Amino acid sequence: MTAPTTRERVSQRVPLWRDVIVLKWVTQVFLLVMVLGAMFFLASQAGDNLRARNISTEFDFLHEPVMIQISEGIDTHPDTGARALWSAMVNTLRISGAGIIFATVLGVVVGLARLSDNWLVRRIGTMWVEFFRNVPLLVQMIFMFSFLTTLPRVGLDSGPINGWLHISNKGISMPRVFMADGFYQWAVVVLIGAVAAHYVRRRRQRIQDETGANTSPILWALGTVALFGLVGLFVHPAFSWLGSVFGAIAELFDSLPTAAPQVLFSAAAIGVATTWIRRFLSARRSAIGHLLLSDDDWFRMIFAALTSLVVVLLVVRWSGLSAWTLDSSRDLFEVLEAKFEVDGAARPFDAMRPDIVQKNRFPNYGTNGLTMSIGFASVFFAVLFYTSAFIGENVRGGILAVPKGQTEAAKAVGLKRGQVLRHVVLPQAIRVIMPPTGNQYLNLLKNTSLAIAVGYSDIVQVGTTVFNQTGMTLPVVSIWMLFYLSCSLTISVVVNWFNVRMRLVER
Amino acid sequence: MAGFGSGSEIASVAATATVPITAPPETPKLPPGEWVKANLFSSPFNSVLTVISTASLGFIAWFFLSFIFHPIRQWNAPATNLRLMMTRAYPEEQYLRVWACVAIILVLTGMSMAVWRAGSTMPVAGLGRKLLTTGALLVLLTLLAPFSTGATVQWLAAALVVVAIGESLRRIADRGEAERTVSTLTLQVVALAGVVTSLWVIPFGHHSYIPTRIPQVMEEPGTVALSTKLPWTIMLAIVVAAYFGGALLRDRLAKNTLRVTLVLLWLLAPPVLVYLILRDPDFDMGHVIGTDIPIFLAYAVLGSALLLWLTRPSTGEIGRIVAAMVLVAGFATFLSPMRMVLRLDMLLLAAFALAAPTFAGGSRSRNRYTGAWLLALGVMSWLITSVNTASTVKVPGGFFIGGIAITFMVAIFTIVLSVPLGIALALARTSTMPIFRLLATWFIEFVRGIPLITILIFFSIMVPLFLPRGMHLSEVAAVVIGYTLFSAAYMAENIRGGLQSVTRGQHEAAEAVGMTTAQKTVFIVLPQALRVAIPPLVGHCIGVFKETSLLAIIGVFDLLYIARIVIPGQTEFMGSARESILFIVPIYWIFCYTISKASQRIEQRTGLGER
Repeated sequence: MTAPTTRERVSQRVPLWRDVIVLKWVTQVFLLVMVLGAMFFLASQAGDNLRARNISTEFDFLHEPVMIQISEGIDTHPDTGARALWSAMVNTLRISGAGIIFATVLGVVVGLARLSDNWLVRRIGTMWVEFFRNVPLLVQMIFMFSFLTTLPRVGLDSGPINGWLHISNKGISMPRVFMADGFYQWAVVVLIGAVAAHYVRRRRQRIQDETGANTSPILWALGTVALFGLVGLFVHPAFSWLGSVFGAIAELFDSLPTAAPQVLFSAAAIGVATTWIRRFLSARRSAIGHLLLSDDDWFRMIFAALTSLVVVLLVVRWSGLSAWTLDSSRDLFEVLEAKFEVDGAARPFDAMRPDIVQKNRFPNYGTNGLTMSIGFASVFFAVLFYTSAFIGENVRGGILAVPKGQTEAAKAVGLKRGQVLRHVVLPQAIRVIMPPTGNQYLNLLKNTSLAIAVGYSDIVQVGTTVFNQTGMTLPVVSIWMLFYLSCSLTISVVVNWFNVRMRLVER
Repeated sequence: MAGFGSGSEIASVAATATVPITAPPETPKLPPGEWVKANLFSSPFNSVLTVISTASLGFIAWFFLSFIFHPIRQWNAPATNLRLMMTRAYPEEQYLRVWACVAIILVLTGMSMAVWRAGSTMPVAGLGRKLLTTGALLVLLTLLAPFSTGATVQWLAAALVVVAIGESLRRIADRGEAERTVSTLTLQVVALAGVVTSLWVIPFGHHSYIPTRIPQVMEEPGTVALSTKLPWTIMLAIVVAAYFGGALLRDRLAKNTLRVTLVLLWLLAPPVLVYLILRDPDFDMGHVIGTDIPIFLAYAVLGSALLLWLTRPSTGEIGRIVAAMVLVAGFATFLSPMRMVLRLDMLLLAAFALAAPTFAGGSRSRNRYTGAWLLALGVMSWLITSVNTASTVKVPGGFFIGGIAITFMVAIFTIVLSVPLGIALALARTSTMPIFRLLATWFIEFVRGIPLITILIFFSIMVPLFLPRGMHLSEVAAVVIGYTLFSAAYMAENIRGGLQSVTRGQHEAAEAVGMTTAQKTVFIVLPQALRVAIPPLVGHCIGVFKETSLLAIIGVFDLLYIARIVIPGQTEFMGSARESILFIVPIYWIFCYTISKASQRIEQRTGLGER
């Protein structure tokens, strides 16, 4: 090391108000103080105003009885606010899940149609995309709703319907296949079948790799599962002994002390944080062994450590959380025990025809059939068509992004058109298609919130009703945000996991 | 890494540049029979597809035609309520101002089209073929529609006229040697002239909606055409005149000055138009002359002097201290009672003073910076003055503007306000300062994770609760604030994409010539990043326009709310919701489709977004 030059010595004596690092941190702390101050000011204003209007911000309404009727779902006459919101959440999840699956399928169809050889199909694809993309979703939804409500009325004669399908201005009702008492035992058989299928697939794959013959391993695996499912319909009562096993596990959870999950959670939080910090430090270590840590890195590490500390404090201070974990685990296994200890002759599946009941003044479909209400249909189809236009554009872009040489090469080695698409084009296109399509899934989830306009009881609609009745705006809004944020996070985690798996592994 | 990336980019550009450019091969024109065989029935699968899609298209067309032309349809519901759909309860005697706004927009549109050389040419033969296809389609639709015999004959005759025009155009085009072309702008003007002429000929709408305390519908033949045929004719003349005026200016003036002026006018237009529509025409000017103008002049003179001195490169350290003192003074004004405009002007001056060293330079850049200050001060003073003047119209029951006017108003204000906020958020998110980045990331991810409707409901209900006692904000303003925050989070992500596309070399070069971080960001990084971000930003703006329809859910009288709730609620038009909704679908579609196509064309022409 040589002695510092004059210039270097001068630069070391930068005055405090010109020092970049000092200025940076002063600005940031100033901004943080401003933001926190503004939030504190707004919160205190809101608190004052709410107190002045006698509005409570507590979550009491979750346990108190409410007068809400939910259009459909797991519970149409919930007794508490929490139950109402839960039922509405299930409705939102149901419609988003169905929407995501069907929009993917329809989107692929639209994308392929836009690339078709057939002039008419290509034109229809273009019209589909340009129409559904350029009209507001809400307008489409209301348009569909206003058409569906003009369908013929439900007849007054209640009771089971003779036909299989019934369409009216209350919706579409069809026979419902549902899980009966023996379902859980049957599911165990299928689970065993899945394990067996895994080995079958591996074996068939090995034969294909060795001999080169087409042994269709996937088909064989699916066939194995189907076989087990079929056999399981007859042999499933053999698994009722599992009930007592679950009962024993439930008792085990009952006897554990509250401290056990506390210790477990704390250890997990600290373990995650320390592992992360250690990995982080080793990643920042340069080839000659010393650490290159910037302001940012320190910030990250302190943040991770603080987060784990907060988690530990939370777990230790709030013993109710641990008790709840234990209780709910015990309850889960007790429920499983009850599910398995049923009459051996119970069928795994059963079906019922739709029916019409007259509860109050108006006839409506009963719970026997699988009913798609008008509200559900208009939200579902509007969201489905709207999203399919966007996904179709992603699919088209992704397929066009595959170099033409790939298709030509695949055709040259004698693959058929379907094979070219399935084995060469789509695996490459999916890497381009998937990231924007993941965004579309998120948009779909958020777009189902427009259901409030057509009276489908999703979380926003029920939440609005709840706070109109109780005045609890802030709690309901925070529940909305928590719900949507966790759903968005789940979808993006799944999509990211998929993206990472599909990523081209380079060297 | 990035260095290698940009190097190979240049190499690939050079490689493609050496390849001789050849015109794409002419696609041979097939005779109709072969064309059908090649494009519709090339394989058994394709034939099946063709049959199925023809059948389903026919069914959909038949369904909609039999809906639209069913005798019980009340199509006079939307026709009668056109004024309601456009501006809701705006007083009739003040309607001249609405037309003035439309005229301003059209003048700007016409001039911009001339200056940016919008439009293209198309061959006459192609136009003829298009008309032929349109005529054939019209014949098909007429045969599908449930018309009476007389109506069928009339429609068929119209279709035949279209076919005849198309065929004769094709013949004329084929006769000459050189290919004849026609400007698409001419075609658009001809089409618009046809629409305007129809107002003089056809008595659209047999009723007129009278927006009084008790709304009623008056029977008066041809009211829609009566009240709008003259204004629309003048508007058409104005847009054509503006186009030619713009073309004249384009040839006389420097291109960049003209473009910058037009962009500034477009940005200033929304507040001016809102002022034109909302404000009292005969209010007292004494306050403006006595108070507002002196304050403006004082700030203009003193502020300009200060900024001219601050932007001198030789000012140095002491300038920053002075700027910081101006900021402190700006905050100190809040301690003693005085006019709000004095405080806000002081804060604006502080912001300009703090940013002054970034723009320091020769006399030209100093003058430009001072000019920007004067412009910003003028706009702000005028906005504050106009906000403080009384509103013209006293209508019971809150805000009286509605319909498509509020759709546009909310969309434009949201977009204009969320651009600077989005840029700030994007810069914060890509900043090296952890707290900035953390706050921006949390805000963006939080907002992007929740649906717009929850934000709108939250703001429409909760903003009154967050305000201090005695302060009021209209529901529309509260909703615009919420919508702006929402839109800014998405814009920030688009702009961040642009920021990431600016190569490392650009940053390093800017640092190498001694720019400060602020200078680097303003002069080097942002211009390139925004250029790349324009295509996704236009897409986002279309989304903002579309989603203003969500205002209907929280009860703002926008286009959708009027079509769905208000019109079917009138006793004359009970149960006409489907007609009105079907009527507004094309309105939304035309706007969104036109904007997206125009932006695609501009992208292709200028190579925007390709970096």
